[in-house]
Amino acid sequence: MTDLSQNYFVSVAEIAAKLDQATTIAQKLSLTASNARAVALRAGERAAGFRPLTDFIDRLAEITISSSKKINQMAATLSQTSAEKVRADGAIKHFNSVYKIANESPYIDSLDEVYERCKSEQDRLEKTYRRQIEQLSEELETLSSELRNAVILATLSRVEASQAGSQYQDALINVADNVEGAAGKIKNHIKYSQQMVSTLEEY
Amino acid sequence: MKTHKLFECPSHTWLMFGRDDEKPEAIIDTNQYMVVTKNNSLLMDPGGIELFSAMLAAVIKQVPANKITHLFASHQDPDIISSLGLWDQALPSATLHSPWLWESFIRHFGMNNINYSAIPDEGNTLKLDGVSLEFIPAHYLHSSGNFNVYDPEAKILMSGDIGAAMEPVDAPLFVEDFDEHAKKMRMFHQRWMPSNEAKNDWVRRVRKLDVEMMCPQHGRIFKGDDVKRFLDWFENLEVGVLNKG
Ligand SMILES: [Fe+2]
Ligand SMILES: [Fe+2]
Repeated sequence: MTDLSQNYFVSVAEIAAKLDQATTIAQKLSLTASNARAVALRAGERAAGFRPLTDFIDRLAEITISSSKKINQMAATLSQTSAEKVRADGAIKHFNSVYKIANESPYIDSLDEVYERCKSEQDRLEKTYRRQIEQLSEELETLSSELRNAVILATLSRVEASQAGSQYQDALINVADNVEGAAGKIKNHIKYSQQMVSTLEEY
Repeated sequence: MKTHKLFECPSHTWLMFGRDDEKPEAIIDTNQYMVVTKNNSLLMDPGGIELFSAMLAAVIKQVPANKITHLFASHQDPDIISSLGLWDQALPSATLHSPWLWESFIRHFGMNNINYSAIPDEGNTLKLDGVSLEFIPAHYLHSSGNFNVYDPEAKILMSGDIGAAMEPVDAPLFVEDFDEHAKKMRMFHQRWMPSNEAKNDWVRRVRKLDVEMMCPQHGRIFKGDDVKRFLDWFENLEVGVLNKG
């Protein structure tokens, strides 16, 4: 695992990148499902129990792809918000130093209106930022729990593979391995993203 | 950041901000100018992002924040207008006057609130509480879309990078010995100004104006006869020359 970034809008971009990788893996998973379907078809009756499993693999791939896309979109929105937040934070910092430099100025009070407006904009962005992080976190959790099904799916696939006869067994076990491997990789990306999100929550 | 009053009459005042001894060493020293009329102000070439706090603090000593209604950027350079993103937060209802050519570039500095008033190639005039401020074309000097600001009543020409010189931060405000000063301007103009044709056209047009003070964005202000000396010097200088000073 690479080190967690200190800069929050870099973290957001990294989440988007991780989920992009998850999408690629899920697309391969979807390929695995159609291969599995072909093998099961050739294996005929003996692999009848395997066929419905290929539908589940497909569904898992689909859910992962659509959820990754959604998370990606969320990360992009969050990234926009955090960039705006950086600007607002920067402006406030500048205004604070103006108060310090120009405190004897006859018009220093005229800055209050400017300051208040920027402050409320900063608060709004802060709230939006928190809400978006929460939504992102929930979506990551949803995808993560969907992926728990992958382990069950792989186990069932192995059981069904052992019934399919020696000619097809290896190919079907391979499918089970692929499902498990893909799910594991995606889970790691999600875990990493979740850790990123938890560092974001500290800001 | 120091503030100097350059001109004052009942209708308006010209101020110059600069010689900022607190600025970071690696950034070029810049002169900012502001015209204050009854209810409005035009802040010209407000400067880089590094300068923002010092500039706002200096300006707010002169006028209340809500009186800074207009900004002007002679061209797109960072030392001219990279502070825009912060002015945009400070003055959301202000108007920025800048060459039409650079609008889609200048917006990269961050402009969500400020209104962009695009100056056409031939220039135009801004009226602030009855005071006329003319945006005079100075294209290719050095930027391909570039304007000066001329005030016919104060007889002041804000000339942007034209007449600029690289000087230490404690340099005097006005040119004292033109020939000495010309040495400091030579490389800047030869290297940054790309077109002899544009230069000579500008010199011809500016000679027709009544200019008592020519105020560049870097270096010293030219007064009286030094304005004429500058025009002669500039006319005779070959520009668009690759040199290293
Ligand atoms: Fe410039
Ligand atoms: Fe400049």
